[in-house]
Amino acid sequence: MSAVLTARGLTKRYGKRTAVDGIDFSVPAGRIVGLIGPNGSGKTTTLKAALGLIDFEGELSVLGFDPRTQRDDLMKDVCFIADVAILPRWLRVKDAIDFVEGVHPRFDRKKAERYVANTKLKPGMKVKEMSKGMIVQLHLALVMAIDAKLLVLDEPTLGLDIIYRKTFYQNLLEDYFDEQKTIVITTHQVEEVEHILTDLMFIRDGRIVLAATMDEIGERYTEVMVAPDKVGAAGALAPIDQRTVFGKQVMLFDGVCRTQLGQLGEVRNPSVADLFVATMKGTYA
Amino acid sequence: MKTMKWLLRREIWEHKGAFFWTPLLIAAAMVILMGGGFAYSMAFGGAEHIRIQGNDVVSIEGVPQAMRYKIAHIAASAYLGAAAPLFMVLAVVVFFYCLSALHDDRRDRSILFWKSLPLSDRDTVLSKLVTALCVAPLVTMAISVATSLLLLVIGMLAAAGKGLNLFAPVLTDLNLYLSPFYLLAFLPLYILWALPTVGWLLLVSSWAKSKVFLWAVGIPLVTLLLLFWLNFIISPIAPVHFDIDFIGKEIVTRMLGGLFPGAWMSEVDGSRFSQMKDGLDAGVVLGESYRTLANPGVWLGAIAGSAMIVGAIRLRRWRDEG
Repeated sequence: MSAVLTARGLTKRYGKRTAVDGIDFSVPAGRIVGLIGPNGSGKTTTLKAALGLIDFEGELSVLGFDPRTQRDDLMKDVCFIADVAILPRWLRVKDAIDFVEGVHPRFDRKKAERYVANTKLKPGMKVKEMSKGMIVQLHLALVMAIDAKLLVLDEPTLGLDIIYRKTFYQNLLEDYFDEQKTIVITTHQVEEVEHILTDLMFIRDGRIVLAATMDEIGERYTEVMVAPDKVGAAGALAPIDQRTVFGKQVMLFDGVCRTQLGQLGEVRNPSVADLFVATMKGTYA
Repeated sequence: MKTMKWLLRREIWEHKGAFFWTPLLIAAAMVILMGGGFAYSMAFGGAEHIRIQGNDVVSIEGVPQAMRYKIAHIAASAYLGAAAPLFMVLAVVVFFYCLSALHDDRRDRSILFWKSLPLSDRDTVLSKLVTALCVAPLVTMAISVATSLLLLVIGMLAAAGKGLNLFAPVLTDLNLYLSPFYLLAFLPLYILWALPTVGWLLLVSSWAKSKVFLWAVGIPLVTLLLLFWLNFIISPIAPVHFDIDFIGKEIVTRMLGGLFPGAWMSEVDGSRFSQMKDGLDAGVVLGESYRTLANPGVWLGAIAGSAMIVGAIRLRRWRDEG
């Protein structure tokens, strides 16, 4: 299938500061992409550009539309939850459902009502009476009932407790995602999303430092718990990161043959979080 | 069209308090105060005197038939005047509504929710414009007509209690039924006069990061002050000077005062009004009011207002909410 999102030379400057520095990437349809980077790396800026919320330089095509000039058409097929999920304080649950049904051609009212029925939300409740988790539940009920081709989630679970976070991603995967849809997620809580991602993109200082499918990453990166007598040999293979766990050296290798590494110690797939930390070393230094 | 309907409904949900409850509350207070006043005068006032426009000379025995009809005619023609306070409140409510319309959702960042739906910035801003210039005035007009009728009935009951029966002549007076339509006929004129103010307020609302009121009122007033000061500085050395009166009247007043109902009265030639003998002749007032459209000022103001609304739409499209 063709790409849902294509960027070429995407650049965004705020005064002298370059937030996004000429990045290229492409997101095919039917993927769940994690856009992961430290604070201020340009994640949110990239997503804002893709959603037509800010102007930018370079080329960007979202579902075949230019978000700068064709935003009104684009928004019929795209939905997003912005970083701090905020709904207007005066909005009532039933009014919110009525409104989205009224303005969105791809909204499934029954679906939204089903989600709401599974929560503590009441139809007459106003947003200002809700807890933060409940607001996200309402927002999610609205968004998941929209049959959008592309869903962008920018830190959707920030500030929520673990129960809300788990159910959020579970619902997303079980009830929403299918091969017609594409989801782009940014988050700091890497551990929670890594099991649902199909693709990974690391962004640092406005540049993409890693873009690969999860399968490719599994092939490329290997973590080895090195046997004490093999540390010298392992070090010679140029690990990209090393740390000590219970007195044992754990090394991370990029593109080194797995059978060769197997002779040095216990081999396993690194977690995305470890990979992230290794790739971003020195960001805040 | 369907989207616009929902956008208007959204404005009403958000501002129900300002557009419905405020005028209803004031209307209720007016009915209680004035109705109470009538009831009091009925209970304790002497039966032989009634005051009409401050002249308490009419004795009940001696109300001639012609006088009775004249009173009834004035009551039937001018009863909507009783609702004037509601329209003053409308101007204030809409003024502050416009200031917050494109700012509040940016401040609490809920704009990102609205922008995640297929709503164009043009439709969003237009829905606020229609709310300010049509929905809010129509709601106030409806409440005003109801309140005025109620007050008229209370007044007539009070008069009847004193032996002056106005029901038959008032109810048969055509003006009783025409007045609400005269009121409605002012709406297009009101919209034209209010456009520069609404445009300016929406522009500031769309642009300012904070302190919307200060910017909206401060920019025109400080500019006026600066020009005044410049005049003072340069007048000894140069023959040019800024026409402060003109700028104040034609620009600043239109920018800030257009929402007040009857703003056009400053351009109305009042001489025709003095010829009205039987109280207020709504047709004459309406005609004279619409004659202000012969002056270019109101049209230039409306064009400037529309341009500022386009500006507000563009600003809303590209404003980065960080």
